[in-house]
Amino acid sequence: MNAAAYYFTNGMESEASVIARGLRRRDPELLDRLIEQFQHRLLRYLVYLTRNRELAEDLFQETWIRVLERGHRYDGKHEFSTWLYAVARNLTIDYLRKINPVSLDGLLEQDEDHASVEPRDVRPLALDILAQRQQLLRISEALIALPAEYREAIVLRFQDELALEEIAIVTGARLGTVKSRLYRGLSMLMERLGGARA
Amino acid sequence: MIRNVHDEACALIALGGAVSPTQQAWLRMHLEQCEACRLYLQALNDVVGALHSVTISADFRLVRTSQMRVRFHSRSLREMRQRVWLVGMACLGVGISGTLTAPILWRLFAWVGQMAGVPNIVWQAGFMFFFALPGMIVAVLLLARGAHPVKSGIDSGQWS
Repeated sequence: MNAAAYYFTNGMESEASVIARGLRRRDPELLDRLIEQFQHRLLRYLVYLTRNRELAEDLFQETWIRVLERGHRYDGKHEFSTWLYAVARNLTIDYLRKINPVSLDGLLEQDEDHASVEPRDVRPLALDILAQRQQLLRISEALIALPAEYREAIVLRFQDELALEEIAIVTGARLGTVKSRLYRGLSMLMERLGGARA
Repeated sequence: MIRNVHDEACALIALGGAVSPTQQAWLRMHLEQCEACRLYLQALNDVVGALHSVTISADFRLVRTSQMRVRFHSRSLREMRQRVWLVGMACLGVGISGTLTAPILWRLFAWVGQMAGVPNIVWQAGFMFFFALPGMIVAVLLLARGAHPVKSGIDSGQWS
């Protein structure tokens, strides 16, 4: 390992450790900083996960409450963002289970079997997000229309730029499954957008 | 499942650069020869570029509200922890003093029972009642408090 890579790796570790220590202390300053730092990424993930901006905003707040309560469980060995996404994902699944007997997990399993499941009406969300920008609207609609597990993998990989291993940790799926979801998801997305072969 | 080389190449392209050096070299070589896969790569780059341009932003109000909620909840947790500590210490104190004073009280009740000429079962029952009384009072108070749980989060609809 060269010096720069060593420094970089240690720098990452120390930042994660600092966050882990702060979360154990429930340091309010640290939590304020983390909320600001991850505001857009977390909200975007939740919006694409739930396909509902209002619910995503509710879950956004609730995620930080859970981070406060269970921060001592973050060991600092992985990136904080990976742990944060996992918390948000579990919270979303818990919430969807409460309001609907079919959980997100169930929806994901269904989507695996029936990849062509019709999406819910996403126009208000897309319009809200994209503010009448036609090209972006098309992409957003196509992404939102994807089955949940493909959508999630694509957002985590290409918008949040998580490594494949990190996506596997967040989603609790095997690495091979993550790869497969990315490939199939992108193929479906490109097909919907009228791109190259699927 | 048997996949041809083009599927294999597309699957590697879809990983967005997360491939080994060997796979990368193989993919580069394949792309030099395969027009269709080059088009796929181009299309994928376009889509990924477009994905980056899709913005979903948290507004200031949401961030501020989240920070306030977290701070408020943090304070509640701290206060609750202090209360639990106080109750724990009180229980410990009561337990120790109860253990130390039980033999003395027992003898006192026995003496009073003999002086009053009541059967043993009566002063023993009196002792048990007197000994358990503080615990019963605390239990009733705790139960009364527990009848009004504080709701928070999604269930309570407090989201603003």
